Amino acid sequence: MAEALPADIPLPDLSAPPLVRIEGVQKSFGATHVLKGINLSVYRRQVVVLVGPSGTGKSTLLRCINLLSPPDSGCIWLEEQEITAPGVNQDKVRQRIGMVFQDFNLFTHLTALENVTIGMTKVLGIKKPEAREKSMWELERVGLADRASHYPAQLSGGQKQRVAIARALGMDPHVMLFDEPTSALDPELTGEVLEVMQNLAFEGDTMIVVSHEMQFAREVADKIVFMEGGYVVEEGDPDEMFTNARTDRTREFLNKIADFGETKNKK
Amino acid sequence: MPFLEKFYTTILFLLEGLGVTVSVTVIALAVGFVLGVLMAVLRVYGSRPLAALAAAYSVIVRAVPVVVTIFILYFVIASIINLTPFLAGALALGFASGAYQSEIFRGALQSVAPGQMTAARAIGMSRVQAIRHIILPQAVRLALPGWGNEATLVLKDSTLVFAVGVPEMLRRAQYVSSRTLEPFLAFGTAALLYLVLTMLTTFVLSRVEQRYRLLT
Repeated sequence: MAEALPADIPLPDLSAPPLVRIEGVQKSFGATHVLKGINLSVYRRQVVVLVGPSGTGKSTLLRCINLLSPPDSGCIWLEEQEITAPGVNQDKVRQRIGMVFQDFNLFTHLTALENVTIGMTKVLGIKKPEAREKSMWELERVGLADRASHYPAQLSGGQKQRVAIARALGMDPHVMLFDEPTSALDPELTGEVLEVMQNLAFEGDTMIVVSHEMQFAREVADKIVFMEGGYVVEEGDPDEMFTNARTDRTREFLNKIADFGETKNKK
Repeated sequence: MPFLEKFYTTILFLLEGLGVTVSVTVIALAVGFVLGVLMAVLRVYGSRPLAALAAAYSVIVRAVPVVVTIFILYFVIASIINLTPFLAGALALGFASGAYQSEIFRGALQSVAPGQMTAARAIGMSRVQAIRHIILPQAVRLALPGWGNEATLVLKDSTLVFAVGVPEMLRRAQYVSSRTLEPFLAFGTAALLYLVLTMLTTFVLSRVEQRYRLLT
C-alpha cells in the first residue's frame, strides 16, 4: 500500500541526531520489573509503532518518555537534552511532548474548545482570543470545528479522541505519543481516529504509537518496534517485519495479530 | 391585640435580626469554604505531615460541640485579640464548618477520575496548576449536593451565636417570648422564618447545581 501514497510524504531525517534517544531505560513498579533495559532512537518526522503482547511495557515506555513515570535507571534525551538528568524542569519537558491516551481523558468540565485552549492559556501564556483562534484551527484539523461548544459527554468516542489529539497538538509538541488511541473505540469509530493520525504523519509530525492496528502500522509506520517481556526484541522497516521478521517470536506475534485483524474486519 | 397583628409585629421584630442571621451564615460558609477546600487539598495532595495536620483539624473540630468552639473563640481568643461577639461567633462557626466542608471536598476530590490529573500533567501543567484549573473546578461541582446540605446546617447553627449575645433572630424571639409571655408565637414565628430561609437556600443551590452539573 505504501507505493500508492503521494510522493511528497516527509521522510524521516535520519542524518540528524535522533529527536528522542532512549538508552538502557529500566522501570519497576514494586516487585514487577516492567522495562528491563530499553534502547530506542526516534528521528525527526519518523512514525514509530510499538507492538507486542499486553503487559510488555509499551505504555510504560511512553510514560517514561514524557516523565509521567520517570525511569528508575537509564537515560532519555529529547532534542539532545538529557531530560532524565537531575534538575530538569519536567513540566517544561512535557510541554514539548504531546500525549494521547487510550481512554481520552478529556477535561469533563470544559467544552471541546476549552479543552484545547486551557493548555495554551494556562501553560504557554497565550492570550485568550489568540488561543481560541488557534484552538478552532486545531479542531478543524481533526474535523470537529462544528463540535467546539460540546462537552465531552456529548461527543462520541471517536470524536473525544480527536479532540484529545487537538488538545495535544495545540501545544505545538515536538513529538506525539499515542497510547493505544483506538483500543477503547468501537471498530466503526477507529477509522476516523486513524485517519487523523495518518494525516499528522503525512504532515511530518514525529509520532510514537502504541497500537494493535496492524494495517495502520503497515501503511503509516516508518519503523515497527516489537517489544516483549520488557525488552525490544526486534525493530525494522514495516514491510520487512511483516513479511520477513528475523525472530520467530516476532513472526508468531505479527501473524497472530494479523489473522485476528482480518477476522475482525470480515465480521 | 388580635392574633394577626401580634404575629405581624413579632415577625417585623424578628426580621430586624435577619441581617445578622444571614451575614453570620454567609461569613461562616465563606470561611468554611476556604478552610474546607484548603484542608481537603492538603489531605489528598499534600505531603504526609500536612495531610496529617488537616486530618487532625477535621477530627478534632468535628468532635467538639460548635457552642464550645464559639465559647473558646469568644472567651479565650477574643480576650487576646479584639473580636466583637458577632465576629467571634461567625468565625467560630466558619472554623467548625470548615471541618465538615473539608470532608465534603475530600470525597469530591477523590472522585475526580485519576486520568484528569495525568492529562493535565501531560500538557505541561504543574501539579498546582492541574489542581487549580482541572481538579478543583470538577471537585467543587461534584461537591455541590453535599455542600448545599452543609449550607442549611450552618444556617441553623447560626442560632448558636446567640450564646454570646449576638442579636440574631432566635435571640430576638427570646426577647419577644419573655416580654409577651407567649413563647409559641415567638418561637413559632422564628421557626417559620428559618423554614422559609432554608427553603430559599435549597432552591437557589439546586439551581446552581443544575447550572454547573458535570455531564457524564
